Amino acid sequence: MDYSYFRMKRVAAVIGVLLLNPAVACAEEDTNALRRQLTEIRQQMQQMQQNYAQQINALEQRLVGLESKPDKSATTVVSPPIASPSTATASNSGFQIGLSGLIAGGGSSVDNDALEGLQGGAHDPNQNGFTVQNVELSIGGTVGPYFDAEAHIIFQIDAEGETVVELEEAFFTTRSLPWGLQVKGGQYFTEFGRQNPQHPHTWAFVDQPVVLSRFFGGDGLRSQGVRASWLMPTDWYSELYFGIQNPKGETVTSFLNAPGEVIGGHTLIDRDARDFGDLLYTARWLNGFDLSDTISMNLGVSGLWGPNASGTTTDTNIYGADLYLKWQPVYSQRGFPFVSWHSEILKRRYEAGDPGDPSRETLKDWGLFTQAQWGFKPGWVAGLRAEYASADGNTSTDPLRDTRKRLSPNLTWYPSEYSKVRLQYNRDWTEHLPGKTADSLWLQFEFNLGSHAAHVF
Amino acid sequence: MKKIFNISFGLLLLMTPLASHAALEIVTTTQDLAAIVKSVGGEQVQVQSLTPGTRDPHFAAAKPSMIHKVFRADLLLVIGADMEIGWLPPLLQSARNAQVQPGNPGYLDLSSVVPLLDKISGPVSRAMGDVHAKGNPHYWLDPRNGVRMAHAIASRLSELDPSHKDDYQRRFNTFAQTMDNKLPAWHAELAQLKGKPVIAYHKSFIYLADAFDFRIVDEVEPKPGIAPSAATLSTLVARIKAEHIGLLIMEPYYERRSARYLNEQTGIRVAVLPQSVGAQPDINSYFDLFDAIVAALNNTGGK
Repeated sequence: MDYSYFRMKRVAAVIGVLLLNPAVACAEEDTNALRRQLTEIRQQMQQMQQNYAQQINALEQRLVGLESKPDKSATTVVSPPIASPSTATASNSGFQIGLSGLIAGGGSSVDNDALEGLQGGAHDPNQNGFTVQNVELSIGGTVGPYFDAEAHIIFQIDAEGETVVELEEAFFTTRSLPWGLQVKGGQYFTEFGRQNPQHPHTWAFVDQPVVLSRFFGGDGLRSQGVRASWLMPTDWYSELYFGIQNPKGETVTSFLNAPGEVIGGHTLIDRDARDFGDLLYTARWLNGFDLSDTISMNLGVSGLWGPNASGTTTDTNIYGADLYLKWQPVYSQRGFPFVSWHSEILKRRYEAGDPGDPSRETLKDWGLFTQAQWGFKPGWVAGLRAEYASADGNTSTDPLRDTRKRLSPNLTWYPSEYSKVRLQYNRDWTEHLPGKTADSLWLQFEFNLGSHAAHVF
Repeated sequence: MKKIFNISFGLLLLMTPLASHAALEIVTTTQDLAAIVKSVGGEQVQVQSLTPGTRDPHFAAAKPSMIHKVFRADLLLVIGADMEIGWLPPLLQSARNAQVQPGNPGYLDLSSVVPLLDKISGPVSRAMGDVHAKGNPHYWLDPRNGVRMAHAIASRLSELDPSHKDDYQRRFNTFAQTMDNKLPAWHAELAQLKGKPVIAYHKSFIYLADAFDFRIVDEVEPKPGIAPSAATLSTLVARIKAEHIGLLIMEPYYERRSARYLNEQTGIRVAVLPQSVGAQPDINSYFDLFDAIVAALNNTGGK
């Protein structure tokens, strides 16, 4: 630890008491006394610079003297008592723990079975009645001079009433690598686009975009692995991410996901990663600019390359681009008003079936969502999201590949920084449902306990 | 292989300008800190503030442009006392600059060199609103704390850049001297406020009240960060009338409707005080800030 820092604090403490006791007393009208005092203090500061230890002793003695003398002129002390300087501000309390809960209630014009196909996210409200979307225990902190670490454990109650526990994320990040490098390792959300790595309680809507549910499954794209990122020495914020993750499991849906499931008519087999070539490779390039004092922009492109389970040699590639713009006026209260606009477009190329397989084909899917939020007064945000997802071929009966449109207006009220109430209406247009459309209304409640949640940009 | 070598050599060349930059690159969380650093650091420093003085620094978000600035900083100055808690921790993690992490010489929390008011000793509950348990973080609004902050900054600059120690010391002396000259004048101008009851919009002016001896008897917000309801306002109207409270002070970024209502109902004068350097275009230094605050407090015609 840097001891001179503490010594400075002690000096400051003594100065503080010396400066303030007399200042309050003399501020009556005697400005000359005030001037004299300040000069005195300044001289003391200079002397202290030359000899800390001596000065502290001297000042401490003077302080005792001052305190023991009654303060003659302090007849109208109106200010609150002055506390001694803080000793705990440098914050050793790096350990953070918090719990956030998302609960929704509502209903739809279609039944629960149909809702499951519409609300593809595992944290989406997906049944008529109530849904405990996500209760997340987050723990994080600094491991030492070289690493930070965090873990997120989620609890859910599924449609059958069973409690589900999942290790959503658990990873370390480096703190002090040179040249703008950072390494992250463990189980983590893949940094693909802007929305995928966000936890459900920071979402702008009660459910996840259709195209993300289709490409990345209900829980978003996350897996075990390691990634390096490089903050480039450019004149603007520009960061490159490269990662390698395990390609197998239900949270890497477009890759080696569950045997027996079907994608585009192709039944998936039990395939393991055999060598480095069979792992999931991830890349992202993110740029950030301040376009003016009031407008900031993020622009990113991402890519994924990995094997898929429709054959023994088949691969999947997913590409995406994301744009985020935020406007906040020069004067703003508690972060309001603001307007933000977030759009992503994703495209998937899925090789289905090994060479020689008569049903071999390349499945091409794509989708986009674009959403705007308007914080029109402190604590109040109105939002609107439009989505489209589609795929090549005859897909009209497949809930995961049919042509799908969704329009979602919503209104959110933040009673305080740590809670929110959100009302959202979804209008769905599908091919796979007999009625072709569905209307749903959801009311969501969120609470945050424990550590201060970060303000996301 | 040769190609790879050439590329890496090129990248190294790209990075060297960072290391060989002469002036200390200093990043502050607020413009008040930036102004004091400019006064003390002069041409030996380059200063950038992460938030503008027109916004509430508690509610910033960690923008990528901030990551870029902190990544390049030699010294990071923060207000502390949980003022930046919503955005600084993730920013520090993304910025991956070991030098400016807490505990290292490149990190200076100025709340450690001033006496904080309103520290909460009992249990703190979020039912109390946005309460800062470590103390009220708006301490830069006491000009005497400005001298303490300038002193701490001069000391830290001298540690990081010993070759210009004398310059920093000299400029600190000038800063303190200017304060010597200004403080009595400000006190004289605000003599009529002494001991008077005042209402503030948010709990952010207690240091100002302490420095210039007026009493903040109530806030427009019923709890810090909670907007006033109609009931809160009518209670305030009654109190203003009963206790003859003549002045309401508020930051420029809060809603004006409540203040306008109180003014209409009771005739209370509303003074919109710039709370930070940069809150108005003509406030460029720490001394400008208090000149403007004193002028706003005195402006009898203002609303």
